[in-house]
Amino acid sequence: MNKETIEMLARSAGLAKALAEFPDDVTVAATQAADVARKIKRPIDPRAEPWPPMKAGTTL
Amino acid sequence: MSDLHWMTAASAARAIATKELSPVDLTKALLDRVEKLDPTLNAFIRVDGEAAMAAAKAAETEAQSGRLRGPLHGVPVGIKDIIDVAGLPTTCHSKVLQDNMATADAVCVEKLRGAGAIVLGKLSTHEFAIGGPSFDLPWPPARNPWNPDHHPGGSSSGSGSGVAAGLFPMALGTDTGGSVRNPASCCGIVGLKPTYGLVSRRGVFPLSFTLDHIGPMTRTVTDNALMLESIAGHDPLDPGSAAGAQGHYGAALDRSLRGLRIGFVRHFHEIDTPADPEVTAALEHVARSLQLEGADLRDIKLPSLNEFGAVNRVILQSEAWSIHGPWLGERPGDYGQLARRRLMAGAFMSAGDYMLASRRRLQMIAEVEAALRDVDVLLCASSMDPACRIEDTAEVERTYPRQARTPFNVTGHPALAMMAGLSKGGLPVSVQFVGRYFDEATVFQVARAWERAAGTDKKHPAIG
Repeated sequence: MNKETIEMLARSAGLAKALAEFPDDVTVAATQAADVARKIKRPIDPRAEPWPPMKAGTTL
Repeated sequence: MSDLHWMTAASAARAIATKELSPVDLTKALLDRVEKLDPTLNAFIRVDGEAAMAAAKAAETEAQSGRLRGPLHGVPVGIKDIIDVAGLPTTCHSKVLQDNMATADAVCVEKLRGAGAIVLGKLSTHEFAIGGPSFDLPWPPARNPWNPDHHPGGSSSGSGSGVAAGLFPMALGTDTGGSVRNPASCCGIVGLKPTYGLVSRRGVFPLSFTLDHIGPMTRTVTDNALMLESIAGHDPLDPGSAAGAQGHYGAALDRSLRGLRIGFVRHFHEIDTPADPEVTAALEHVARSLQLEGADLRDIKLPSLNEFGAVNRVILQSEAWSIHGPWLGERPGDYGQLARRRLMAGAFMSAGDYMLASRRRLQMIAEVEAALRDVDVLLCASSMDPACRIEDTAEVERTYPRQARTPFNVTGHPALAMMAGLSKGGLPVSVQFVGRYFDEATVFQVARAWERAAGTDKKHPAIG
């Protein structure tokens, strides 16, 4: 993720103040997030459901 | 009675019930020890000595008249400071919530009091159970009683440090990516992350809704089962609470392992994240000992630690961002640097990332469930290294992710970490046992067999 993208995403997430006061921390956070999802195997079956599921009437 | 500080919760409760021990004497002895050792260990954020002594006096009066509230009558407990205790602030070890006064007990605290336990105070944590060990917060980080230059693990760091040091026989911790089991591993005690939903989360500050667990931390397996029995149970006001979930967790503690099938997940520490040789040797020793106790041992393969870790991180940081986003936007300077960095990462994760992790999560659950149809319990590493020096930032950063705990936050299975031995440097190394959903009793059975064989419950740090 390049600097411009990080700044754009940070501002749109409401982190303008953090970007001004702690720019290095914002960069580290963005870098931490950048590659992590790539380590996850994408389910091949389009019907693969997420967990936890929606369950009507079981709680509350 | 000598060495009151090393008494287990079970033996203290027994002695109080038979009037051989006064809850006042026990509480006073522990508060004296806190006064002596806590300036070094920083296990407490707030000691509530006056209230603890008042509760101890009430417990003594009740015991003298033969009225016992429950199985923990008169036994002191420490509470991680992300868990509400009425009348005390829940600071989450953060400037952000420094004055956040709790008006009611969390359900788990209410249950402990109902069982007769006495709250000693609020314990150090990594900031919001994620950012630590940190030196830029209003309170210092807890330290390891085996060697105060080393970190005690986290995020339930004060809980681990204080139990191991004999400041209290039991504590509550929370575990979202391993935060009960990490300090249990570093400090050589017993820490259980129960089945997801077994213990109510109501009154506990959330980190990640679908990964958060509350768990008991003790010096012995028996105490852990006793504490779990006191805090487990359905809570209709916690949307994640499991219906009808409560059992007699100590039922199988002294049962033989003959015929029990244990799956050894070797690839976690041999291939995925190669462990320190002392940890590997200790795990082999545990496996051989359990075989000698009659268990049938076989190798088991699960998804890689790398992938489990990625699924945990995406879910944890996305859910945590939904909680902390507004505060990080308005007052980022009120967070310590580590928490700020880790929590802001969620701002850069997409809905697609979260859904990918959540869909893969169900497949991972299915894979662990399949393994647990072939065996009764899994044995694997917890931490891949003994605790490093707390002020060695680079080493803390290197060793922190070297662990095998996050898989069972992702899947929600019960997982217990405990001492597997001591390193040449005199620091605990650890082992982890994992069971089927709601089958904590079998996890305790295996853990107790190892404890009995190795005498881990008799090993204490030479502090104080």
